[in-house]
Amino acid sequence: MNEKTGTPELFGAIARVNLSSGLVSREDLPEDAVRRFIGGRGMGASYLYNEVGPDVDPLGPGNKLIFMNGPLVGTLLPAGNKVNLTFKSPLSMSYSYSLCGGHWGPELRFAGYTGIIIEGKAESPVYLWIDDDTIELRPAADLWGKTVPETERCLRDELGGDELMQIACVGPAGEKLNKMACITAGWYREFGRGGCGAVMGSKNLKAIAVRGTGAVRFHDPAGVMALSESITAALRAHPKIIDRRNFGTPELLKTINDNGLLCTRNFSETFFEEGHRLEGPRMREDIVVGDASCFACPVGCGKRSYVKAADGTPMLLEGPEFETISLLGSNCGVSDWASLVEATLVCDEHGFDTMNAGGCVSLAMECFEKGIITLEDTGGIELRFGNGAALVAVLRLMAERKGIGDILAEGIKAASERFGAPELGMHSKGQALSAYDPRGCKGMALTYATSPKGAHHMIATTMGPEIAGGTRLSYENKGALQKENQLSMCAVDSLGICSTVRGGFGMGDQAKAFSLTTGIALDIDGLKLAAERIINLERMYNARLGFSRKDDTLPARILSEPVPSGPSAGETVDLGPMLDEFYGVMGWGADGLPTREKLEELGIGELATG
Amino acid sequence: MKEKVLVFETMKCTGCRICEQWCSLGHFGAAAPSLSRITIIRDHATQIDNGIICHQCIDAPCVTSCRFGALGRDEATGAIIVDLDKCNGCRRCIRACPHGAIRMHPDEKYVLICDLCGGDPACVRHCPEQAVQYLERGKAERPYRSALVRGRAKGGACDE
Repeated sequence: MNEKTGTPELFGAIARVNLSSGLVSREDLPEDAVRRFIGGRGMGASYLYNEVGPDVDPLGPGNKLIFMNGPLVGTLLPAGNKVNLTFKSPLSMSYSYSLCGGHWGPELRFAGYTGIIIEGKAESPVYLWIDDDTIELRPAADLWGKTVPETERCLRDELGGDELMQIACVGPAGEKLNKMACITAGWYREFGRGGCGAVMGSKNLKAIAVRGTGAVRFHDPAGVMALSESITAALRAHPKIIDRRNFGTPELLKTINDNGLLCTRNFSETFFEEGHRLEGPRMREDIVVGDASCFACPVGCGKRSYVKAADGTPMLLEGPEFETISLLGSNCGVSDWASLVEATLVCDEHGFDTMNAGGCVSLAMECFEKGIITLEDTGGIELRFGNGAALVAVLRLMAERKGIGDILAEGIKAASERFGAPELGMHSKGQALSAYDPRGCKGMALTYATSPKGAHHMIATTMGPEIAGGTRLSYENKGALQKENQLSMCAVDSLGICSTVRGGFGMGDQAKAFSLTTGIALDIDGLKLAAERIINLERMYNARLGFSRKDDTLPARILSEPVPSGPSAGETVDLGPMLDEFYGVMGWGADGLPTREKLEELGIGELATG
Repeated sequence: MKEKVLVFETMKCTGCRICEQWCSLGHFGAAAPSLSRITIIRDHATQIDNGIICHQCIDAPCVTSCRFGALGRDEATGAIIVDLDKCNGCRRCIRACPHGAIRMHPDEKYVLICDLCGGDPACVRHCPEQAVQYLERGKAERPYRSALVRGRAKGGACDE
């Protein structure tokens, strides 16, 4: 603690919890690290690089779960709620991170912690209880096997019924080491991708309950208040934000489908003829009963949906989101809300990623239709595209790891290889492709291929400017666009704000917000430099594992199978030249690895190997 | 001017808790739900965000319950005001409050009760959903009645 400047108080502390020894310690966040890596995703990358070496088994005790808030989390700055989790992924076997909104991250800051680092492995199931300064590991035998909602209910009762407590936990999927298991906070907000839930399950850690009665302080409270007011006003007048509020992320569906880049029937097509049934306004009319916000967010893009299952059971949830509707819906040929919501709930309650799950089920559906797998393999399920009941049934098998579900729970890459049809597994580095088919929007090819965590859209959401600018089928300058977007996403992920608000909370204001909260001077160029430093650090983590250009790939279908029909008919992706351009603008070599000069320029020359 | 009170509408609230932030910042210069006089609690099972607010009761049980003369009224706004010198943190008022709207300061020996920000409540000014309003006491039931007529007063998400 620096008594003179008081800065560490502004940054918060890190709690380090060793599950093997049961030891809990507290350390200050180094000011130098905050200057270099901002927080959240950047700080997580720094810790993972230093503490989890290349030989570590993702599901072994050597892996770590590095939960890290950004400096804007818990402030009143719009959408300051994203807590980042960095870990080595059992799905992609690479560097990985995942962000979660909701209220858990802010509660952690109110308890006095910017981050928690979980290491080792408990002998038997435990949960972590953080009550301000008191941190304890408690037995979780009674919670083991429980779904996400059951875990929340039981834990809340056990800890005194305080509704203000925030809980992050794994469901049975995490316990069963389902490779796409997520960690869920507040029932419906997930650290979704990369299989972090399996890592938590492998450590015998069921949940982390947090209650904080402290304060998040700022260097300049009046400045933060004034900036919050102006950004909030800008957000509420922004047409895209108004759409997002009204229809949630599903507002995207019509645009994505109409432009021919919506994953359809395992990416065999890019336009879903029943897509009109899944569009945002239709969803609002058919099933939405209310809106939900994450902490400090004036947008409120969360949608509360109510629908009855086929057997009449009422279902109420927050969601489904656009990616879920696409991967479990159009990509499985399913367009009825009852099946789609039930499918979402199976994933949510058991705690596994709807996106990877959708990629796996659509793979199995295509294999079934092609006769690669049969009724014998599926346990009698008619696993055809468009069969909503079959979708739900297979997801339940995945949740229980039974029959074909046990194969699919190993992830899309392993499952496609097991079926003898690796060419039908639509993934990059083992992570299922997001909803946007790159054949209909070339920039997304770079997003998926160069992502350090396997195919993931939030690395760079270039589809927005590409569609708006009418350049979605062009290859021109897509490397430069990719870099610009990767920096922009890395900045919000590290600061701890939601990417949704970027439209009214640009990088200039983001840098200003960082300065007002931490007291460390930063301008827009400094923020971009930090973001680039972080992206290079992530790249170097994977380089240490042997990743290079050869791994920046896409499925053969995307590269060589022309889109059969629709607005993107005839399109493929010519990835090589795009990679050349991107590596060039990043200052990386033709092998896709950062050069010594680049790393030195970014102030991380010590990472250079060549 | 007739006295006004805070009115909370559950169906409008999305649970962003921006009100808590402005309340604690305005009074203490820090973001801290535990220092806020308004509290939003989400029930995940019903998907309802409930707001816990001070209703500025006319014959206020908190004022009556206080044995130290620490609770009085602001002449201009009618808001209940805590005399920090007299309050000793005995918590009788917390138990007396029918709304659960009083909390202890987490570090000091006095309670936190809504002071209506001197007549311009920050929670009302900054709520993006207009879920918290500042209305004349005699008109405060209007939004509730209106919601009741539409069958949405308790959230109604699961109601047919």
